[in-house]
Amino acid sequence: MSSLSWCQNLLEYLAGETDVPPAGFPIELTNYLFWGIWWGILVGVVFVFSGQSSKFIYIDF
Amino acid sequence: MPAKRQLVLAAAVLLAGLVAMNLVVTILTRNSVPRRVMRHARQSQSASVIALGNSLVASGFDEVAFNSGAGLSAPRGAANLGLGASSTVEQLLLLRYALSHGVHPDLVVYGFYDFQLTTPNRFTTSDLMGNHAMLYYVEPFYARRFYSLSLHDSFQFRAMHAIPMFADRGAIWAKVEILRRAMAQQGMPAERTNRLGRAADFSLLESDNAEDFRLQCSASVNLPLASSVSELLRQANDLGLTIAVVEMPMREQHRRLFYDTPGWSQYTSHIRNLLAQFNVIYVDASDWIQEDALFDDPLHLSTRGAAQFSQRLGRLLGSLPPHLSAHSTGTPVPGRSRP
Repeated sequence: MSSLSWCQNLLEYLAGETDVPPAGFPIELTNYLFWGIWWGILVGVVFVFSGQSSKFIYIDF
Repeated sequence: MPAKRQLVLAAAVLLAGLVAMNLVVTILTRNSVPRRVMRHARQSQSASVIALGNSLVASGFDEVAFNSGAGLSAPRGAANLGLGASSTVEQLLLLRYALSHGVHPDLVVYGFYDFQLTTPNRFTTSDLMGNHAMLYYVEPFYARRFYSLSLHDSFQFRAMHAIPMFADRGAIWAKVEILRRAMAQQGMPAERTNRLGRAADFSLLESDNAEDFRLQCSASVNLPLASSVSELLRQANDLGLTIAVVEMPMREQHRRLFYDTPGWSQYTSHIRNLLAQFNVIYVDASDWIQEDALFDDPLHLSTRGAAQFSQRLGRLLGSLPPHLSAHSTGTPVPGRSRP
């Protein structure tokens, strides 16, 4: 498997497209700690960047 | 498929993560602009003068220059509680906040421009970010009397006001926006900015043209004071404070296009009549700063302009007999009028 397809599989696994991790990736679906943190990271990223459409005029430095 | 137990446990970890994120937001917004102004109010308990208003006051009222003009000295001097991008509701809340935290001023300086005093406050929850966020955490349900939200937004407001990630989201977004602007500036000609943001953006807050302004004058000439403004003035008046409502200095172009018109004269006569019941001293300072170079952007005074304006205002209001005291009925002073 080329490294590109391995990365693709990894992203598909992390995004929930597939339930089978790429070879060598140690995190199973049963690892609730990892998945809870991963979802938290995703929520955090969405939160931080969800203001892009806001009309910012005042930014008091 | 993961077992149900694992899903519940992962959701619990996510929940813990969200609690942690809310704590981070709380810590990161400890020094947000409204909180800094509130802290300044708490630290100014001996102030004899407080200045309220939006960014025109925040950047245009220089405490030291005012004190020097009025012959005051710290800690009995002036406290600038102006808040950028605030509506008259936040300004009312800041007055109440200062009064409830031991500030006992003799004089309240209330600066305004254009139609701020009569514009009704209508918001959506998407407006309640940045400095408006204080509507979520300073007397949130008292303040709701003074602005309208749709039913849907009203429910949203109730759900969001206790969650820092929602209530203070604008403070976090602003940090991202500053980063985005810095990245967008790479290899581009530098944009003029000041402490409030990009200088050019502030022309968006002015009317588009003289005709548009004339129409706004006609539409506003019979409006009552915004409920938050009349409440602010009523509370200050009931406490026996002297209130000076100040038309803030504007650039030559703004005055020529908008203020030197019959429509604006009619509008200001109207608001002077409305203000009469609160024993307000009305100061038309719109033409006090003649040099446009003393403005940082289309609306805000530069540091030098603020010092010049504030010193003159201090000289004018400091001459009230007795010295900055309530119930003053001082003889007319040039540049000042009672409605």
